[in-house]
Amino acid sequence: MGRFRLLEHTADMGLEATGTDPADLFLTAARGLRAILLGRRIPPLERWETVEVRGADREELLVGWLGEILFRLGAKGFLATEFAIEELSETILRGRFGGCDFDPDHHSLEREVKAITWHRLAVTDSGGRWRARLYVDL
Amino acid sequence: MSVKIERVDACRWRLPREGAMRTDGLVFASAEMIHALQQEQALEQVRNVATLPGIVGPSLAMPDIHWGYGFPIGGVAAFDAETGVVSPGGVGYDINCGVRLLRSALTAEEVGPHLAKLVDTLFRNVPSGIGSHRQDLKLTVQETRKVLKQGARWAVAQGFGSTADLDHIEAGGTIEGAEPELVSERALERGRGQLGTLGSGNHFLEIQRVDKIFDAEAAEALGLFPGQITVSIHTGSRGLGYQVCDDSLRTMLRASRSYGIELPDKQLCCAPLSSPEGKDYLAAMAAAANFAFANRQLITAWVRESFEEVLQLGPGDLCLSVVYDVCHNIAKWETHTVAGRERRLCVHRKGATRAFPPGHPQLPAAYRAVGQPVLIPGDMGRYSFVLVGTAGAMAETFGSTCHGAGRLLSRHAAKRQARGRNIETELQARGILVRAAGRATLAEEIPEAYKDVAEVVEIVAAAGIGKIVARLRPLAVVKG
Repeated sequence: MGRFRLLEHTADMGLEATGTDPADLFLTAARGLRAILLGRRIPPLERWETVEVRGADREELLVGWLGEILFRLGAKGFLATEFAIEELSETILRGRFGGCDFDPDHHSLEREVKAITWHRLAVTDSGGRWRARLYVDL
Repeated sequence: MSVKIERVDACRWRLPREGAMRTDGLVFASAEMIHALQQEQALEQVRNVATLPGIVGPSLAMPDIHWGYGFPIGGVAAFDAETGVVSPGGVGYDINCGVRLLRSALTAEEVGPHLAKLVDTLFRNVPSGIGSHRQDLKLTVQETRKVLKQGARWAVAQGFGSTADLDHIEAGGTIEGAEPELVSERALERGRGQLGTLGSGNHFLEIQRVDKIFDAEAAEALGLFPGQITVSIHTGSRGLGYQVCDDSLRTMLRASRSYGIELPDKQLCCAPLSSPEGKDYLAAMAAAANFAFANRQLITAWVRESFEEVLQLGPGDLCLSVVYDVCHNIAKWETHTVAGRERRLCVHRKGATRAFPPGHPQLPAAYRAVGQPVLIPGDMGRYSFVLVGTAGAMAETFGSTCHGAGRLLSRHAAKRQARGRNIETELQARGILVRAAGRATLAEEIPEAYKDVAEVVEIVAAAGIGKIVARLRPLAVVKG
């Protein structure tokens, strides 16, 4: 199972994730984003939703995958807290988000994330050790 | 990566053209600020912007410069209409994030006894934090498209404020050329429920007291007097703007490749201003900017409603009128004189404020003699400033100046400094009431997380790219 750490940035926040393969990397990065959004207070899971993301390469796919978490929260009020990947190529990701309807009277975020940026974005494979670095706009 | 930098004078630093740079960088800062900047990536970002095609004049950074993504925060860059580019990263995700200042006929003494009730009422009436919205404002997609086209004008037509408000907003509260049909369904879906909401992070609503006047003539023109109650609103285009930027970046990444533009950072992806991609972005950006103007206009209406409710006074007694409303994340077509020749340029301001000088035709008549009001928030514990634009800004920075204090500490570092402290109680001991929606907001937004904005505006004034008019002290703060 991959690991992540949050990176210092003066105004925003960065995330570095590692994984044994691309799917592990993407799942770890999603858990990293969850940590930025929620800290350790994760509400109980209520249901799963399907996700499909397309991109020109793995970097765009990663921005799209994480951006979908922000979109579902901002547009549909769905707070994704668990993640599953069923199919992942260099250009398509099919998976699921588990989570709950965000209710501001009962849930609270650690902080709002506006977007996943492309600033210094990198997805690399070094000898079977997958690594991603990205910065989010807060 | 080290960046070559040369001191020009007490407040100017030059990044000489080297490598792929097409022009110099010019940073307005004190020696102490530069020392801090060399520990992060902001100067490298000034240099990266200088590599973009068609840049006119230097890649500029205002004294509140800090590490952003793509452009530095505090970055200003102008591009030629024929050879230049437009970059969504030079505007940011929060398109037309900006500040509005309201003045009142009230004094701090009159409001003091009601302050706690007032801040609670504002916290209730103006939705803040994610997921909060007014139950009495539900927009259809068709109506949202009108907001995108008309901006603050839409809000006034719905009864939220008056046409006098529009006269005191940058661009009259409507950026022309907006094409709502270029805003994606996803952006509409993400933003529709967020109109009339403050957001979170560094966005705020603040009741303030005018505690010092530096320029009596300009203060009088702006209707400001010592002891007066003012209200500042800092927010932008919410999820709609974030999604417009996100959508545009994908298009621009492809456009950069197809137009053969080398990018030192993908967030700087761009397209020629004359290209379909460039034109479409500017039209979608204008729509998001109009959403932000409408957002601040609605919040203004609810601020007025809250004051009326708590103080039991009518609009004529409160006189809560708009001093000005400025954008600080925007790209705009403007005419500037460069080397003695008038040129039409697309000026990107990423965390920078327009600061047009006295006499500029785009200023409201009331301010034409003193210059455009420039609103510079500080932090929630110290003060904010009101400035006016200058001829110096017009000559040197494409009529631009700083937009705030600029962050000094990362969010991690701010939280470490706040650990074990009760920030709300500390601020209350300093006479400042605070209400916040987000769990981490107060810790991450502690006053020490920001530069002292007084030092920032002193550099601005010393460089002649802004003139200080008044200082405002916070009395009550609503944070998202």
